[in-house]
Parts: sequence; structure tokens; C-alpha cells
Amino acid sequence: MRTPKQTRTTCEARPAKRGQPIHVRIVCLCLALGLVGPAVITAAQEGDPASISAALALRAEALIMARCAVCHSEDLIIQQRLPRNRWEKTVEKMAHWGAEILPGEADLLVRYLSARYHPAAPDHLPLMDSELRQAETLKQEPALTGMLVGDAGRGAGIFEHNCQACHGIHGSGGMGPKLAKNPILKHEDRFWETVLRGRGPMPAWGSFLNQQDVADIYAWLMSR
Amino acid sequence: MPISRRSLFKALLQGIGVGLLVDQRLPVALAGGEEAARDDVGPFIARVTRPFDAETPVGEFASFLTPNDRFFVRSHFGPPVPELIAEANWKLRVGGLVDRPQVLTLRELKQVEPVTITAVVQCSGNGRAFHRPKVPGVQWKRGAVGNARWTGLRLRDVLAQAGVKEGAQHVQLQGADRPIVDSVPLFTRSIPLAKALHPDTILAYEMNGRPLPILHGAPLRVITPGWMANSCTKWLTDITVQAEEAKGYYMQTAYRVPVKSAESGGIATGASTPVAAMVVKSLIAAPQEGDIVEPGFSAIQGVAWSGEAKVMKVEVSLDGGKTWEPARLVGDDHPFAWRRWRFLWKATTPGPVSILCRATDARGETQPEVSPWNPSGFLWNGWDRVTVRVTG
Repeated sequence: MRTPKQTRTTCEARPAKRGQPIHVRIVCLCLALGLVGPAVITAAQEGDPASISAALALRAEALIMARCAVCHSEDLIIQQRLPRNRWEKTVEKMAHWGAEILPGEADLLVRYLSARYHPAAPDHLPLMDSELRQAETLKQEPALTGMLVGDAGRGAGIFEHNCQACHGIHGSGGMGPKLAKNPILKHEDRFWETVLRGRGPMPAWGSFLNQQDVADIYAWLMSR
Repeated sequence: MPISRRSLFKALLQGIGVGLLVDQRLPVALAGGEEAARDDVGPFIARVTRPFDAETPVGEFASFLTPNDRFFVRSHFGPPVPELIAEANWKLRVGGLVDRPQVLTLRELKQVEPVTITAVVQCSGNGRAFHRPKVPGVQWKRGAVGNARWTGLRLRDVLAQAGVKEGAQHVQLQGADRPIVDSVPLFTRSIPLAKALHPDTILAYEMNGRPLPILHGAPLRVITPGWMANSCTKWLTDITVQAEEAKGYYMQTAYRVPVKSAESGGIATGASTPVAAMVVKSLIAAPQEGDIVEPGFSAIQGVAWSGEAKVMKVEVSLDGGKTWEPARLVGDDHPFAWRRWRFLWKATTPGPVSILCRATDARGETQPEVSPWNPSGFLWNGWDRVTVRVTG
């Protein structure tokens, strides 16, 4: 299904934004055509030292979804315009308060946030390029060979790191609903949809967890 | 459970895929794009969607009372889970340095003599977005404030029933709201005993004659007239009388301002004091930013308030603050409510005109052009400004 044709269709379905930098379009096209490689993205961004590379930006945004949006929506972040030292303090404070931020992730977050949400940034920043996101989402997919087999053991770890804060130890519920023996598990498509796209206060995890991760979490929850 | 590649992608492309592939935009991007360039229109200006923080469009302040469903909303963790505040389960506990610890139901509390106070409630960070250099926090502009009639019982009546012991200095307030992860500190606050014993400090269960809405702290919230809303604990469950200020982040680190004026752009160091009383402030409710005004007479109106002093004067300037003319104070006059004001303006010269206003209270405090900078951006009370265009 991940044929270049299908992916390209996705890209073409959206009109290119006016004023979109040409390198973004090139990256999009490269990704769409399956010419995927971090080197392409990095090279395209080299001329703009103030910005963070597109690949890192996408990883940072996925991290924001996974690490920050558990407790508060992203709009709280994107309205800030702070110098790097205050971003450092903020990320430090959030980690101290229990955000599951690993040291490497903290560095990336600070780099991204201070590159994009610095004091001189305009009040209304343009959207990040959505085609690039789509390409990134597709890029994350593992090479599938017919069957996706969830690994419950691996799923336990992924759940603990990403889901437990809201859904409780062993999926027993907390701020978010109890997942062990939750009826949604009988509807695997709905489960996937909820994880990938989010629902109500739950953020979308599609840009952070890959399909193997979701399959593993599902397998683990089914074993509860 | 294994899924076939076919069924997975069927799900992706049909159920999920339509959204995921064609319409996928991370909320990071969405929220930035959704905010209109002019954000003073609509019923509410949401600053944060979860937990929900929203301010009132200032045009609403043309009326003396701010309606419940337009009143600004702010909390650190959002409302508690409904079971915790359901009337059947909810109780108010009063403990600490008291002779007779209490556990009270809402029904019992409603049997105590009710009082109604009209009071301004304002977020300490209202106007944070105007501080330069910019500071972190919810970027409130002008509308994280409102004026409502609060009905409840006096906190001092509850304290008298419990019997305050010798040595008590502070009253700690805790609501039922909880952070998503346990490692985040609770929103625990305290007020000095003197403020708790003030006859106008109440525990409110009604707002503008209606049951207190959940977003505003049902079933019971504290109202500390004249003080910033960080003292007005919502979803109140625990009152603890104690010798010391509340410990913890939200009393000892957050909601504090430097004792000496802060170095602009610096971080919080040195002695600080909790944000308590409001500072003198006024807003222009009409006309609104960007309005078109016909030449001739038109009314400029707004509201003005101060923490613990009466508003004595509101002035308007139409020349960038070089000269000021007095506005007329009108309507209801209650100690802790805001005062409405009107100014009759004769618009003559076509083109853009900036309208400024500033208030002065009975202590002689006048709104400055720009408020003192502080690392958390509290207590903004710079001159209010609205720019309109006079037609030719």
C-alpha cells in the first residue's frame, strides 16, 4: 500500500500553500517519491541557520505530543515567545514535575522551542508544512510483510512510558479511562483510530508511536 | 493479535486514514492557525484548550455584571472528576489549629446566614501578554477578569464554628482538582488569617443568582474581595488553619512578585511576596479595537476597579497620554465591584485614533503607562488602549 503512487496522491490532494518555500516542496516531493533520507531534509534546511532542520522539528513536535500534551494542550506552548534560557528552565521544570522527558529529548525540545517560539517570532506563526508531516507519518511505518504481530512484552514497556500517566498502572484507569478489559479492545479498528488520532482530551499519537508500537500496546492490553 | 497488512491499511484509509492522511495537522499547528488576528470577537477567547483557560471579550464589560457563561475561566488542572464534587459525596473539612474540626455538607453550609457580595475576580496574570520582555505563562490580554454577585457564607462563620486556636496566622485552602500526574504539585494556597476573617471573605455557592457553575468552582469556592483570583480557590474541600503560609510550589514559588523591582528580563531571585490585593485598573469596553466611528459625539465606556480602595477617578486621553480628561463614574457603587464609567467624545479628525484610559483610587494610586516588569508577568495595569478609525 505504501506505493509511491498512493503517497503522491496524498500530497497532490492538498494545494501547495502560497509562499511555501521551494525546498519544502522539494522535500515533500522527495518523500512522496520514496526518496526518503534525513540527508535530503538536512541539506534542504542548511541555508536557514535560524531554523532547526525539518526532520528534527518533526521529531520535536511528536515529542511535544507525547511528553507535554499529556497534561496540557499544545496551545499553551505555542503562545509563548521565550529566550532559550527560559525554555530550558521550563523544560527542566516540566521534567521535574514528571514529564517523561529523556535527556536527549530535553535538548531537542529546547532547540526546537527556542528556534520557533523565540521573543522575536511573530504572534501568528504560519503552520508547519502539513505535507511534510504526512510524509513523516508514512516514513515511520515499518516495512510490513503481510502480518503485524504485537509483542505484549514490548507493549508493556511502551505503555508504561507513554500511556500509564493517564490510564493508570496496568491500564487500570486514572485521569483517562480504564483500558484493561475495556470494550474498545473488541473493536481493534476503533482502538487504532483512538491511539493514532486521539479522542477528546487524549492527544493523537500517530506521529510518535509507530504501528509496531501500537500493535504491541494492543497485544499487551489484550493480555490484561 | 496479528492484523493483516490489508486490514490495517483498510482501517487506516477508511476509518482513520481519511483524517490521518488527508487532514492530518497536529494540534500544535492547528491552534496557532485558529486564533484570529482579531481575537476580541466571539463568546470566549480560549487561551488554552486543556485544561480550559479562556478570557472574556472586553465588549462584555459594557454591563455591570459579567454573565456566568462569559466569565473568564482559569485553573491549573481543570475541574475535578464529577464524583468528587457531586453533592452526595462532597464535604468541606475544617481542621488544623482549631478546637473542633468540622466535616460539613453543602446543606449544612447553606443553613449558615447567607451573604451576597458583588466583587471583581481577576487572574493575577491578566495582561501578562503586554509585559516586555515577554514572560512565560498563559498569554492573557485584557479579559481574564469579571464582576459577579457571589452568594455564600462568611468564611469567618465557619472558622468561628471550628474555633481558631492561639497561634493561627494563615488559612490554607485546598480544592478537589488534581493534576494528571501525581508528581505535579497540588494547587494549595493560603491566605492570612486577617483576610480569612474579613466579613466580606466568603465561601460562595452561587454566582449571579445561579448555582455556581462547575468551571467556576462548584460546589464551593472562596471569594477574597479585592484580592487576585489565585486566592479564590475553586472546588474547595479542605480548610486548614495553621501558623505558617501554605507550603508548596503554588504558594512559595508561583504567584509571587519581587519585593524590590525586578531587573527587566531577569529570572526570579531575591525576596518575594505573594500576589494578594489587586492594583488599580481600568478597561475600555466600547468602542472596541478596530471599530469604525462616525464623526460627532460618541460614548466611550468601560469599567475601573482597585483592590482594597475605591476608584475615585477615571481619565481618558485622545492624544497618546499628553493630556487627560475626566470620565464620569456611573451606575452601581459597591466596595469590591468595578465601577462603570462613561466619556462623551466628539470625534472630528478622520483617521485612526487611539483612546487611552487610566484610573486613580482613593489611596492616590494611578495606573502607570506600563506596569513594573516581573518575571511571571503578574499585576499588569498599564493604561488601556483601543484604536478606532474615524470616518471622513
